[in-house]
Amino acid sequence: MIGLAPRRERKRSTWTSASATAPPATARVLMYAGLIALSILFLAPVVWTMLSSFKTRTELAARPPTLLPESFALDNYTEALSRFDFGVYLTNSTIVTVSATVLTLAINTMAAYALAKYNFRGRNVLFLVTLGTIMIPLQIILIPLHQVVADTGMTNSLLGMIIPPAATPTGVFLLRQYMLTIPDDLIEAARIDGAGELRIFLRLILPLCRPALAVVTIFSVIWRWNDFLWPLVIAQSQSLYTLPVALAQFNSEEVVPFNYILAMSVVSMIPVIIVFLFTQRHIVKGISQTGLK
Amino acid sequence: MTRRRQVRPWNQRIAPYLFILPNMLIFGVFIVYPAINGFYVSGFDSSNGRTFTPVGAANYGKLFGDEEFWSAARASLIFVVAFVLISTAAAIGLALLLTQPIRARGFFRAVFFLPVLLSPVVVGLLWSWILERRSGALNSVLGLDIGWLVDGPTALGVTVFVGVWMHVGFYTLIIMAGLQGIDGSYHEAARIDGAGAWQRFKHVTWPLLRPTTLVVVILSMIAGFQAFDFIYTLTGGGPLGATTLMVQYVYEHAFRSPIQYGLAAAGSVVLFCTIFALTMLNFLYGRRRESM
Repeated sequence: MIGLAPRRERKRSTWTSASATAPPATARVLMYAGLIALSILFLAPVVWTMLSSFKTRTELAARPPTLLPESFALDNYTEALSRFDFGVYLTNSTIVTVSATVLTLAINTMAAYALAKYNFRGRNVLFLVTLGTIMIPLQIILIPLHQVVADTGMTNSLLGMIIPPAATPTGVFLLRQYMLTIPDDLIEAARIDGAGELRIFLRLILPLCRPALAVVTIFSVIWRWNDFLWPLVIAQSQSLYTLPVALAQFNSEEVVPFNYILAMSVVSMIPVIIVFLFTQRHIVKGISQTGLK
Repeated sequence: MTRRRQVRPWNQRIAPYLFILPNMLIFGVFIVYPAINGFYVSGFDSSNGRTFTPVGAANYGKLFGDEEFWSAARASLIFVVAFVLISTAAAIGLALLLTQPIRARGFFRAVFFLPVLLSPVVVGLLWSWILERRSGALNSVLGLDIGWLVDGPTALGVTVFVGVWMHVGFYTLIIMAGLQGIDGSYHEAARIDGAGAWQRFKHVTWPLLRPTTLVVVILSMIAGFQAFDFIYTLTGGGPLGATTLMVQYVYEHAFRSPIQYGLAAAGSVVLFCTIFALTMLNFLYGRRRESM
């Protein structure tokens, strides 16, 4: 449960701890059958999309639809990039994702450190504010938030997509829970050795938080890269579209042929899948260690 | 937390405030202030988002008299209830399966997590292609002729299904973390006492998993009320508003002409209060059960 009590112990039990012995044979067969059927449900749409992105327009129009493309030609990809501004949208998405993630990591770790390792007046109130804002997703405050952003002159700019969603309560919460597991004595020892507060944070705490930082990085990248509603509200001119905004707009207006939208959808999937494959170990470990339970 | 009050040097007293400042600044300006201001804005009428005339509670009267609002509220309610129940149950089931000693466990875990990575916009596109009546893969594979997205009740059902498909991997991960926290000796003891698999689940896993389940219920509830982006590309809110949920209602009144900023703000306030009340109820219920 999300609570105020610190969680100091770190368990290293195995993932199989829920059941230690193998179930009987028939149950096993059923289990595998179920798992495989479900896997198809989860994989097939993605695989079908990827395969279809190589098809020509005539193949895409075929009834019934074909599974495999006749040839794996990259035409859809190269043409979508050259004939439409998808390169611009890709660049916008990258700029927003990278800078928002860096900003999120910097301010979230600092806040989490203050909440986890200092006793100061107002700490509990600020922590409650942090937890409370989990309940206030951007969708809910869309209009007043849009007003604030308009007042600060950040509408129709990439900055307007980067800064407002940067302070994520979930990130602060995860990092704080993780930092609670770092012994206070370590910090005291560093102070006795004459290290300053900022130095302790940068040189001692940050390296120790690597698993939690990995989790927050991954989620920030996924959220920002895939974000739709906020960039949609902020981007008034087409040159500021991010990939999801461009895909949705072009799909609803049908100004861009279907095969290009398909190819660009696949392009938008690839980066997060790669990030995930490299970091999936950290996700599972990080979530179980950061006390999200 | 009880800690001995010490006199600390000034830099240690100042440091926490400096560390927390940037985050709180952004929280304050872009979350807390707008959240409060939302109530204020809902008392005004504005067609351009610049000049505001005070109208008191008129926006709420207009909102509650708007048939489209009630349609969106009803659709949201059906969506959220179905989404929360199915996601939570599916996540528990999947997590139990994925913590068994099975082959290729890493592969299966990755597969179920895959949709979590995808852009909701792409998820919506992807399923709209698959479910398209004449050219879609599903109807041609099964030899059916069902208009999945053109019939109101079916479309809302499909929307729930796609929502679950997209989110369940994340909730499964949280439940797996919760399962990991359950001490194996409880199951051992139950097994020695002759408890079968179902009894072990009912009397050991389920009660000990309650706090984790509560987290998943709250997270999925908030996600359910937030749902918009994948619906925008899946059904566009149609047919005839059958899948237009609250967020889309608010978005359309705020940013599509005729712009009715105040009315949209009132919708946001209602949405906010609903989420707040339901989350609090969940917390209280969870607390009560834990202290019993």
